[in-house]
Amino acid sequence: MNSKKSIGALALLTAGAFALTACQQGSSSGGGGGGSEDGAVTLQFQSLSDQPATQEAVSSAVEQWNSDNPDVQVEIIQAGWDGAYDKLITQFTGGTAPDIVHFDGASIVSFAQDGYLADLSGGLSEERIADVPQGIWDAVTVNEEIIAYPSTLQSYIAFANVDLLEEAGVEVPTGETMTWDELAEIAEATTTDDVYGIGWGLGSPAATVMTLAPGFGGDFFSGTGEDVQIEVGDAELEVPERIHEMAYEDESLDPVSLTQSGSDVLASFYGGTVAMTVQGSFQATNIANDAPEGFNWVALPPLEGSEGALQAVNPQTYSVNIDSEHVDEATAFLDFFASGETMAAIAQADALIPASESARAVVAEETGGEDGWDQILASADGMVGAPFLQADGYAEWKETTLNPALQQYLGDQIDSEQLAQQLTDGWG
Amino acid sequence: MNTNMKTPLPVTVLQYLALGGFLLFLGFPVLWIVSASFKSSAELNSLSANLIPNEWVFTNFTTALERQNLLTSAGNSFLVAVSTMVIAVIVTLPMSYALARLRGKLRAAGTVWILATQVFPQILIIIPLFLVLRTLMLNDTLLGLILVYVTFTLPFTLWMMQGYVAAVPRELEDAGSMDGASRFKVLVHIVFPLLRPGLMATAMFTFVSAWNEFFLALVLLQSPELFTLPITLRAFLGAEGQTQLGPLAAGAVLATIPSLIVFSFLQKKLTGGMLAGAVKG
Repeated sequence: MNSKKSIGALALLTAGAFALTACQQGSSSGGGGGGSEDGAVTLQFQSLSDQPATQEAVSSAVEQWNSDNPDVQVEIIQAGWDGAYDKLITQFTGGTAPDIVHFDGASIVSFAQDGYLADLSGGLSEERIADVPQGIWDAVTVNEEIIAYPSTLQSYIAFANVDLLEEAGVEVPTGETMTWDELAEIAEATTTDDVYGIGWGLGSPAATVMTLAPGFGGDFFSGTGEDVQIEVGDAELEVPERIHEMAYEDESLDPVSLTQSGSDVLASFYGGTVAMTVQGSFQATNIANDAPEGFNWVALPPLEGSEGALQAVNPQTYSVNIDSEHVDEATAFLDFFASGETMAAIAQADALIPASESARAVVAEETGGEDGWDQILASADGMVGAPFLQADGYAEWKETTLNPALQQYLGDQIDSEQLAQQLTDGWG
Repeated sequence: MNTNMKTPLPVTVLQYLALGGFLLFLGFPVLWIVSASFKSSAELNSLSANLIPNEWVFTNFTTALERQNLLTSAGNSFLVAVSTMVIAVIVTLPMSYALARLRGKLRAAGTVWILATQVFPQILIIIPLFLVLRTLMLNDTLLGLILVYVTFTLPFTLWMMQGYVAAVPRELEDAGSMDGASRFKVLVHIVFPLLRPGLMATAMFTFVSAWNEFFLALVLLQSPELFTLPITLRAFLGAEGQTQLGPLAAGAVLATIPSLIVFSFLQKKLTGGMLAGAVKG
């Protein structure tokens, strides 16, 4: 009797579940937008913005566009960063990619090389193109086509505990830039029995090393697409060698921090067990929000190598699906969306640097340079396009070769020659 | 022979200590995440490793609920997980019986097929799967996701259940047949009741698999209103490695509750030893 009841309940449950699920039709399952009954075009815009304030800025711009353009309506599809690459590759391959795609430079280039993205150069206004430095455009140019609009970017910045520097008798650097030698000297000077001069979260060191490499002329790659050649010489090894030196020769860099994430190291920074920390610039906002009351901190000037205070740019991007039925309308929307005000609002909400000069001016004015924004914005002047962005297979090499090899080197398991060998052998 | 020998007290104490240690080991991550869900961002980013928050903060829960549409996602996850569980159990039951009891080439082929399907990584078949679902107009639907989950869990549940079926002595079925019961009656009244623990274990496995699955849901669902919990929770992990630890912990705590309810319901039924003494040697 009981078993009959159970079977009946199960059957009922299944039928009910199916009835419910069958009714659940997604609103975003099309391959891009399309027309509607009233003849208006609907564009699908897949946004990865995850901060409430960023989402608000994006929504506000879209609402403005929709009210100004009744014939071309934009629908936001909210997605997340995690797994975005897998999602996009499935969408593009399956022909269901949205009209407008939000991603980042290092990852979007491979989609362009596979022919999934439209050339924006004819559709973006001269004003928009002139508003972004050429070095940043280079990062989103593939085969002489602009395949994305670069919106925001991050640099790597050193943050310092002012009290610990002063205790050590070190003057806080205030120049336009700060050399790597100065960083090492300050780290040594502030190292005591209880405090390391610097904590650097390099659990996944690839992005940091590749971003800072141009400061010493480290290119790693030459050529584009499938014809890329790798070369790991002195210039390319400079950044990891200097970090290694601080950790194992000067003993001024906390070696434990080399196994942690940037966010993990912030706890040591707030706790006063490291005097400085190098972080993504976006962490300035987190420091301002989470640091203990009275914590006296400052963002130090951008790090300068032998070639200048240069860093590889890897911007967040907005692209147009080449298979969209409305490429021109989507590009026109992007041109509107890329206004200084919208980009400034997004950048501030995400604590990132706007790619465009006009948006940077807005951020500078609105923040007054507080909470490290002065140095963060200054670091954007040294942003350059990096060859690795154009290298076919870079993303795979980064995960399978670069990260593990750097982890071994920074863990003092291999020397720099072995590091160079591994990086070279691991490429294609 | 005296089978009621008392365990010496020191041994009992050691057993309980070992059990306590094991529970602590398993339970600590859960305790930590509950603790983190009540901590402020500043405390979470400090060096203190206290389990009891210095200041109890509830905003993480409100943020999690307001920000990410958590309740809708929880509903979707529950629907998908329960549907997957029910369908998988209903399909697995007769199939596993056939697999365990029948002999011949078809059975061998079936066994090979089950093992072969376990070899392919998800990433390898995700695009063909996506295209098939698109053709069937089932991409971006929960029904499509349920069917995919059933397909993916079926080989393992079959393997699991056929072990339980094989453990049921044939003599019980023979006895039933000799008493005049038809094959169907034997299955319904003798075999299936004995398989209840196995069914519960299978049900738990499929529920948890579907409840926790991220990758397939991420790729197959496009509409935010259909997102399942793992996708929604990942939204607390931003670009550039930003993590909103407090809301993420709060979301994870909330996400655990339905799972706990299902488990507390199912584990009562998960009793072994039903076959003890069923067949006298």
